[in-house]
Amino acid sequence: MTALGDTRQLAYIAGQASDARVNVELETEGMTLNIGPQHPATHGTLRVIVKLDGERVVAAEPVMGYMHRGYEKLSEVRTYPQVTTLVNRIDWLGSFANEVPFILAAERLMDVEAPPRAQWIRTALFELSRIANVVLFLGDMGVQLGAVTPVFFAFRDREFVLNQIEAVTGGRFHPNFDRIGGLKDDLPKGWIEETKGVLGRIRTFCDEMEDLVTGNEIFQARTRGIGVIPADVGLSYGLSGANIRASGVDWDLRRDGGVGLVHDQLDWKVWTHPDGDSFARYWVRLQEVREACDMVDQLLDGIPSGPVMAKVPRIIKVPAGEAYVETENPLGVMGYYVVSKGDLVPYRVKIRSASFNNISITPWLLEGTYVPDVISILASLYFILGDIDR
Amino acid sequence: MPAPKLPGLVKGLGVTLKTMLRTLTRGSHTVQYPKVKEAPTPRARGVITLHEDNCTACMLCARECPDWCIYIEGHKYKAPPRRPGGKPRQKNALDRFDIDFSLCMYCGICVEVCPFEALFWSPEFEYSEPKIADLLHDKSKLGQWMETVPDFQDYESGSEAKKAKVPR
Repeated sequence: MTALGDTRQLAYIAGQASDARVNVELETEGMTLNIGPQHPATHGTLRVIVKLDGERVVAAEPVMGYMHRGYEKLSEVRTYPQVTTLVNRIDWLGSFANEVPFILAAERLMDVEAPPRAQWIRTALFELSRIANVVLFLGDMGVQLGAVTPVFFAFRDREFVLNQIEAVTGGRFHPNFDRIGGLKDDLPKGWIEETKGVLGRIRTFCDEMEDLVTGNEIFQARTRGIGVIPADVGLSYGLSGANIRASGVDWDLRRDGGVGLVHDQLDWKVWTHPDGDSFARYWVRLQEVREACDMVDQLLDGIPSGPVMAKVPRIIKVPAGEAYVETENPLGVMGYYVVSKGDLVPYRVKIRSASFNNISITPWLLEGTYVPDVISILASLYFILGDIDR
Repeated sequence: MPAPKLPGLVKGLGVTLKTMLRTLTRGSHTVQYPKVKEAPTPRARGVITLHEDNCTACMLCARECPDWCIYIEGHKYKAPPRRPGGKPRQKNALDRFDIDFSLCMYCGICVEVCPFEALFWSPEFEYSEPKIADLLHDKSKLGQWMETVPDFQDYESGSEAKKAKVPR
C-alpha cells in the first residue's frame, strides 16, 4: 500500500515504473507524459518529461537541445562583423538586443567607444526590441490559458514596432545593425515622429491588455498563487529579468550594470512584484512595456547630433584579451564572454543566454503542481527556444 | 461598502466589442496580399542587386559573406590606351557573379563592404521559386533588380552622415 500524499515515494515508484517499463501494481498508476518537442503548448521544440500521479506532477525534466545550432563554435570561424548575423538568431523576437552585448564586449577589447548619437540610437532600438518581444509575451500568455483574442492584438501592434525597426535597419527580425564603434547607418528622416505614434499605439495596447486579461477572473484564478518562486530559490537557480523581479528582487542591469548604454541618463523605474507567482511575472512584464515606451520617448527627444560611427579600422582585428559584458535583455541577463588572441576571429565566445537559466528552475517549480498549471507556469516563465539552445 | 466593480469578463468583452466596431467602421489592419500590396520601406533588405559596370571582381563581398554564397569569376584584359602612344590599360572583366539566395542570410555585409558601389539592396521580395536551384541568381538577373532600387532616404536632423547616390 502506498500512502497517497507521500509524493517522494510516489515519484520514486513512478520513475521506476516508467524507466523499467514494467507494470507495477499501484493504487494510482504513474504515467510519464512527454510535453513536446512538438506540442501546441510549447512555443518551439522544448520537451518536458513530466511524471504524473493522476493530475499531479511528481517530477518534471526539461530536455533541451532539439534546436542547438552551435553558435558558440560557429563564431570561432567568423570574423567579428559576421558574428552579429549569427547572434541575431538567438532570441529571435528581440534580435537587436542580442547584438548589443557582443558588440560592447568587442568594443571593450578594442578600447573604442561609440559616439553619443550612436549610443542613444542603440539604446532606443534596444528598448524597441524589448517592446516587440514582450508585447508578444502578453498575447501569448493569454493564448496559453485559452484566451485567443490577446494574441491577435499582440501580433497587430507588434507589427508597427517591427515596421519601425525595419525602417531603420532594413530587417524586421534580423537587423544586423550594430557595428563595432557605432551603427551601420543613421536614422531616416521622419522616423522619430512615426515612432512616437507607434509608442502611443503600444500604450493603448497595454491599456487594452489591462482590461482584457489582467482583470479577468478566469485569468486571475489560473495564475494567482500558481508557480510561486521565492526570491532565494530564484536567485540560486540563476533566474534573471522579469522572472526574478516578479519575486521581489530589485535587480536590473540597465540600472545596476552601467555598460555602454545610456539608461542612466533617463528617468525611469524598475518594477517589482512581491508575489513571485505567474500573475506577478505577467504583471511585471506589462509594466515594463509601459516603462520601455516612456524610455524610448525620452531617448527620441534627447538624441544628440553628431556622427554614428567612431574611427575604427576597415579590417577589424581585436587585440588579445578577454571581456565579459552582460546586459538586461528582454528575456533576462544576456552576456558574452569573448576571448581574443589578436586575430580576425574570436578565439572563443561563451554565450550566457537568459532562457537557459530561466528554464532550469522547472524541475523544482513543476513538482507538485497540476497539469493545467504546468502550461501557465511554462508560459509565464517566458522562454524563447533559440535562446535556450543557441 | 465599496462601489460595485464591473466584472473583468464584461470589461474584456467591452474591449473586443470596441475593436469589432472599429474594424467595421474603419477597416481592418490586414490587407488581402496578392490583390493589395503593402510597400516595404526603402531600406528593406529584399533582394541584392548588382550594378555590373562598377564591379571589378575584387572578391571582397565573396570573402566577407558569412555563409559564402557569392560566386565570382573574372579575368583581366588589356584595353587599348586612351590616347595614341599611351600604355594599354589593365581592366577587370566579370565572367560570373552568382548569389545563391537559398543560402543567403540577408545580413547585408556584402553590400556594406563593396568599395566600388556595385551592390545594392532592393526592397523587392517576390522572387520565390518552385525549384530551389532557381534561387541562384546570375549576374543578368541580379542586374535586372537594379531598376527597383529606391533612392537613399534623407537623414534625420542632427545627422552628419552623407547621403549616397544610386548609380542609374
